[in-house]
Amino acid sequence: MDKIDLLILRTLALAPLHGYGIGQRIEQTSGGVLRITLGALYPALNRLERTGLVKGSWALSDSNRRARYYALTPTGRRRLSSGQKAWERSVAAMIRVLRAEAK
Amino acid sequence: MTGLWRRLLEVFRGRQLDREAVEELAHHVDLLVARKVAAGLDETEARRQALIEVGSIQSAREQIAERRTGFALDQVGREAVYAARVLRRSPGITLLSIITMGAGIGASVILFALVNAVVLRPLPYPDSDRLVRIFDTNAQAGIDRAGVATGNLDDWRARTTLFDGIAGYFAMGRTLTVGPNSEVLITAQVTQDFFSLMRVTPILGEAFSIDEVRRAQYSSAAAPTGADPVVIVARSVWQQQFGGDPGIIGRTVMLERRPFRVVGVMPDGFAVPDRGVQLWIPWDVSGVRPRDQHYLGGIARLKPGASLTQAQDQLNGVAATLGLEHGPTNRGWGVHLSPLAVETVGDTGTVLWVLLASVGLVLLVACANVALLSLMRGLDRSEETAVRLALGASAGRLVREFFLESVLLSGLGGLLGVAIAAAGLRILPRLTSDLPRIDEVVFDYRAAAFVAAVTALSALLSGLPQAWRRTRVAPIAGLAGGSQRMTGGAGRHFLRDSIVVAQVALAVVLLAASGLLVRSFLHLRGTDPGFDPRGVLVAPIFLDSQAYSSGDRTRAYYRMLFERLSAIPGVSAVGGATTVPTSPLGPDFERPVWPEGAAPDSAQRLPASVRMVTPGYFPALGLRVVDGRAIDDRDLPASPRVVMVNETLARRLWPGQRVVGQQLVVDYSTAGTYPYEVIGIVGDVRFRGPRSAPPPEIYLPHAQRSYLILNVVLRTTGDPRALIPAVRGVLKDVDPQKPAHGMYALEDLVGATYARDRQAMVTLLVFAGTAIFLAVLSVYGVLSQRVRERSREIGIRMAMGAGTPKVIAWVVRAGLRLVVAGMLIGLLAAWMLSGTLEGLLFGVAPRDALTAVVVVAVLAVVGVLATLVPSWRATRIDPVVILRRG
Repeated sequence: MDKIDLLILRTLALAPLHGYGIGQRIEQTSGGVLRITLGALYPALNRLERTGLVKGSWALSDSNRRARYYALTPTGRRRLSSGQKAWERSVAAMIRVLRAEAK
Repeated sequence: MTGLWRRLLEVFRGRQLDREAVEELAHHVDLLVARKVAAGLDETEARRQALIEVGSIQSAREQIAERRTGFALDQVGREAVYAARVLRRSPGITLLSIITMGAGIGASVILFALVNAVVLRPLPYPDSDRLVRIFDTNAQAGIDRAGVATGNLDDWRARTTLFDGIAGYFAMGRTLTVGPNSEVLITAQVTQDFFSLMRVTPILGEAFSIDEVRRAQYSSAAAPTGADPVVIVARSVWQQQFGGDPGIIGRTVMLERRPFRVVGVMPDGFAVPDRGVQLWIPWDVSGVRPRDQHYLGGIARLKPGASLTQAQDQLNGVAATLGLEHGPTNRGWGVHLSPLAVETVGDTGTVLWVLLASVGLVLLVACANVALLSLMRGLDRSEETAVRLALGASAGRLVREFFLESVLLSGLGGLLGVAIAAAGLRILPRLTSDLPRIDEVVFDYRAAAFVAAVTALSALLSGLPQAWRRTRVAPIAGLAGGSQRMTGGAGRHFLRDSIVVAQVALAVVLLAASGLLVRSFLHLRGTDPGFDPRGVLVAPIFLDSQAYSSGDRTRAYYRMLFERLSAIPGVSAVGGATTVPTSPLGPDFERPVWPEGAAPDSAQRLPASVRMVTPGYFPALGLRVVDGRAIDDRDLPASPRVVMVNETLARRLWPGQRVVGQQLVVDYSTAGTYPYEVIGIVGDVRFRGPRSAPPPEIYLPHAQRSYLILNVVLRTTGDPRALIPAVRGVLKDVDPQKPAHGMYALEDLVGATYARDRQAMVTLLVFAGTAIFLAVLSVYGVLSQRVRERSREIGIRMAMGAGTPKVIAWVVRAGLRLVVAGMLIGLLAAWMLSGTLEGLLFGVAPRDALTAVVVVAVLAVVGVLATLVPSWRATRIDPVVILRRG
């Protein structure tokens, strides 16, 4: 699973958000390290929706504007947990390799 | 399933989804701007920065949109415009591609239209697949096809159950006189079921009634003896001779100086027995008729559900019974049934199929050319492609674009092809008037479907290599290539080279086939026909029994005619025969003959073709008298009966014996069976063209057996056609009511017997030439490009001391490798396919070594020619320039 897909799913696991909100949340949570461009975000959302991991629906935003909110589907939730585990395993493995010292 | 459903929905909801995507993105941008404004930027600047930050909003939208099904449809129009722009950017290549494609498609369509009209479309008669021709056969006598005997027809009709009518016909020239004009028209005497089994009704009037048929009796010399004779005329006669008179039905016309009442007008396209027939008169063959004179054309309609074999078996059963009942005349005779369509088309179908297949190969070569051209253009555009791939254009989109290019090319090529075909089909009847059913060639729905299919196939074939390669350009490699002038990769070469090799192979197949046809044609031309057609004019004369009721009058007419014709300046000999070689007019029939004293059942009883000739016939036609003497003025009605035989007959009846002086019995049936003294042997004549084997023949003096029909032949030292006005004048003087039925140079008639061979040969040569030309063009193009690509390497080599010969050798080797590979594959394919040509060949084996040698030689020459210019270019490369640039 793509890194960006995982980030989106994780973000949506907390609460449904619109596209801008997702981008903002990821940027904030990562301390400004991960910035997702619009050109990557929307195709990814589209892909996730197409594969049934998220579901988009139009709703009114805080500022009373029509906005498209994305929410995690049960399938998405399952994929998130498996994806997260896989990702964590591989990151841990990466770290072990990077920190390995000569004996 | 739901996936498919959603995709379908999306196609229709496309516009809304698109709007939603825009709205969503706009919302995003607005929020971005709001944040920047909050951070202290003014509105305009904030929006500007936001948009930059967002990147190409358009690209995001496209990427979303592209995943939708309906997108392809929205997009095709836009991409087509782009493809058209690309094509316009290289007008030369584009034009060349369109012309190549157009010529290929046009030629295919012409041939398809011919195959369609001649072979595929049913004959223009209702349920024409039920119509069959009937031939008499006699295995014992070695006759596989003879006319039907009049005497059997009634029994056949009465005793069979599987036919919806059996009829016979006999065609000959008769003089139609309308006012002051007399003209000889081919007239068919047809028996009772003829029109009803053809199921074609006259456009005016009606077909013959039973009564009219019953009354239609003729004397032995074909003069009507019944009351109130009637005639049906062709539409062309109605138009030309009667000026389209709407009151023609019931009008009386003079046919051989006898009044006939017109009862019907047949529509155009009714070509039974053949296209030349313009008048039909009824003929009653009931009652006692000779059962041993096989000269009728037989035609029948099978009952629905009856198969050809069943019908033939039934009729053969009847024939066997008749053989028992009428032993002397019918023993040994059976029938052979063959579909009318097959008989009408003859073996022209084979020729057309071969040519259609050949033009298909040419089209393949043309497609390959277009594919190569676009590959090369694609190569020129590899930088652009790489950039677009790097910028995120999907491979799918690029492939679509390139297919659109070839679709556009093929589409335009198809249009051009249709125009070419339309023009070609218009002039074609003038070029090949002897092609059966040529007047039925039309551009129908089947031809239209063919055009569509061929164009689509061409688009696919010519676009495929390019599209396939497109997806294989690595963006980075392509970009790097742009700056480093790198050479095309090995894979790229392989694709290009394979196409060229395939082209050469296809061209070789065509070249080999046309080589075989050329050899075959030379054989045909080289075959000795047994007579000399050069300088001979043929004028068929049909006298009528009305004015020429006795042999004396007939002889007097011809004596006078010959005297006057001999006096025409330039005429060196004048003669006549009932039938002349290769001429369709006149009675060509067989009679049983045997040496006097041979037992009735002996194998020495042969059917021999009978010719009645005048003394002048031998010098006029240039026949060889091998032994004895020719028929001359001594052979008068009261003189002893004499006969000349041809070499074949002499060999069969008296092998190794002295033939002159033998007595030959000719069974003339109703006219008596007598012995004739053999006075000479005539050299064999290939009577029906060079492909026909000479049949056993006998020549009788016209004076002793005066026929009303005589083909008059005149030999001249000059152009025989120049005699026509003078001959016409003489004919008019001698008897104004007896014009000739057309006049022909015998050379033209002989030429017509291999006209089809010539046409097939010329057509195939043109195809092969085109294919070779296109293939060589490709070899040239590929080599030139390779020299261009490798100019750096060549330059370096030259700088390192490689001389001109080495450079040339490199290029020539590269070129010949392609040509030789193609040639080997092509020869192998030709060797495997050559069997299909067997039916067209004469005197050449389908796997002819000499042809193969010629093919190799031709290819060697054109192969070297193709490498000349690229080699020369390679030697002109300046190492200094190359190195400085590098």
